[in-house]
Amino acid sequence: MDLHTKLKILGAAAKYDVSCSSSGSSRRNRPGGLGNASLPGICHSWSDDGRCISLLKVLFTNCCAFNCLYCVNRATADVPRATFTPDEVAQLTINFYKRNYIEGLFLSSAVYKNPNYTMELLIATVKKLRKEYQFNGYIHLKAIPGADPLLIAEAGKYVDRMSVNIELPSSQGLQLLAPQKDRDSIIRPMGFIHSKILQAREERKLYKNAPLFVPAGQTTQLIVGATPDNDLKILKLSESLYKRFSLKRVYYSAYVPVTQHPNLPAIASPPLMREHRLYQADWLLRFYGFKADELLDETQPLLDTEIDPKSAWALKNLHLFPVEVNRADYEMLIRVPGIGVRSARRIIAARRYSSIDFETLKRFGVVLKRARHFITCRGKFYGERNINESTLYQLLKPASTQQKGISPASKQLTFSSLYPHVFQPEDVYTVITGEM
Amino acid sequence: MVYYIYDGSFEGLLTAIYEAYYRRETPEKILSSDNVQNSLFIKYVHINTDQEKAQRVYDAIVQKISPSAAKNVLYAFLSEAQDAGTAIYRYLKLGWKMGKSVDSALAEPHVFRVHALRKKVSQEAGKMLGLVRFRLLKSGVYYAPIEPDFNILGIIAPHFKKRMPNQDWIIHDVKRKLAAFYSQGQYAIVPFEFKGALPLDDEEFDYQTLWKEYFQNIAIKSRINPRLQRQFMPVRYWKYLIETPGTQAKS
Ligand code: SF4
Repeated sequence: MDLHTKLKILGAAAKYDVSCSSSGSSRRNRPGGLGNASLPGICHSWSDDGRCISLLKVLFTNCCAFNCLYCVNRATADVPRATFTPDEVAQLTINFYKRNYIEGLFLSSAVYKNPNYTMELLIATVKKLRKEYQFNGYIHLKAIPGADPLLIAEAGKYVDRMSVNIELPSSQGLQLLAPQKDRDSIIRPMGFIHSKILQAREERKLYKNAPLFVPAGQTTQLIVGATPDNDLKILKLSESLYKRFSLKRVYYSAYVPVTQHPNLPAIASPPLMREHRLYQADWLLRFYGFKADELLDETQPLLDTEIDPKSAWALKNLHLFPVEVNRADYEMLIRVPGIGVRSARRIIAARRYSSIDFETLKRFGVVLKRARHFITCRGKFYGERNINESTLYQLLKPASTQQKGISPASKQLTFSSLYPHVFQPEDVYTVITGEM
Repeated sequence: MVYYIYDGSFEGLLTAIYEAYYRRETPEKILSSDNVQNSLFIKYVHINTDQEKAQRVYDAIVQKISPSAAKNVLYAFLSEAQDAGTAIYRYLKLGWKMGKSVDSALAEPHVFRVHALRKKVSQEAGKMLGLVRFRLLKSGVYYAPIEPDFNILGIIAPHFKKRMPNQDWIIHDVKRKLAAFYSQGQYAIVPFEFKGALPLDDEEFDYQTLWKEYFQNIAIKSRINPRLQRQFMPVRYWKYLIETPGTQAKS
């Protein structure tokens, strides 16, 4: 089978894995090596579905011994199969990287023969990249559930990030849809990776040259909508994963119906809005100091699809508002719908110098359409008066989506260091054409 | 009313700011020479660029205000916005008085403007780090043409120097006729124009095809979203990509 066909099959098979992030690791280039991992993470392209392409994301093989019902690669599925060699993956990665198509490699795999055998092939690949090809770019490796901890420990030495996918938020779900996996075979490696990360970090405090272990941390992915698990349950799970294993990210992936089976829900299209709201709520857990219990409870276990979770929370807690933007502390400011981390920081910085007026808020990026109902500015309230919860609800939708931009981590530079003029223009043509 | 006119270089702008200070004049605007429309009611003062004066202003920014203010000024300058010179001048005037806290005074329109320009420029530079596409030439050099909105070549070059230290590369700002040439630990940015076809390496076509196919394949068909794609990657940046975005319609 030629490389084009393999890449087609194994790239397509990997695309449902949503984790595109390449951030969180800064690996410096070593002399003689190629590449470095850049801290904020870099998107290199955006595919036609609007997702960021940062890593060459492929499966090592899609030949699977397991039979998870929600998966296109399950043993009983009738799909074309392919398997890379470690060298093919390494070559592709290197050549794509040198052309700046990608930030690194995201290597995952179906369970070929058995978990240990697969894990060994993955290790052979990443080892080759690091040792033989001197590749210092970003590598994210999927740990195969059920693989021996020793193999996972070995793999961790070469990669920036590792993830074990939980896939289904509950054990019942796993039993029903992925009978060969159990919660233990997933949670145990997560705990193991976590303790190794902590250990490596301690060692590096003592010895500067102690080996790295998964410096960008671990992540996981949950499929949303393949089982009846509600949002409260999912957010609680995420919350405890962040706490117990210091996970860097939990990714949510709207279930894409790839096959039909009595154990699977019959849905026409993936629940994208639900996925979006979960990401927003997750964001609130990680950066806004919210707890899952504040956002949802047993009587209301689902996130509102009409309005964003922060607005929904604020509506339930109208007694806390309005707050005065010139006085409220940072923790409260970021809880105001329409005020984000960045605008809250700006407000705090600017009001040290002078009190802030309403116009300025707009320039600081506050979304006044939402925020005005929850704040006063120099004592004045700009929202509608005599308003109740349900009319406010109408006013708050539809919520716009927030996107995070990246900015380069740049140092102090002077113009002459940016634009040195040492080459002579005449040299230039020989460089480009190779003709002397 | 007095306008200062400088030659369009960063050093020229800094010289103009130096002159305004020592001549105890307050020019209404500081403009680059290619932005000037003559008017009878305005007195135009042409500033001669002076490296030494420019350096003194630069050092003063770093010491009297802050290193990040120097970065703000440089990035805002690279935006090539018509009002950049004036905004920088006013920003610095306030900065001499306030020191490093000038960057908190976002309620001041010129401070805000400089910050906004800096942000636009660094955002584009950040985006460009990913969108640069090298082609391997017969000569063994990796060549990438770009056409950014702002003059960011100098901001992105160090990133590639760190990342690809062992390959010779060229990043060419086609619009500004400027290119960064890198070889063995050093790069230079020089005026450069190149027309005609490039002699590509034999393997190049194969890897381009692999990448194109991969790109087509990675999109999830039930989630095709051209609007979102364009929002992140505006069409004006597509010209020099290898892959071809936007070819898949929702089925
Ligand atoms: S083990 Fe992975 S690849 Fe195999 S069927 Fe299950 S989800 Fe699919």
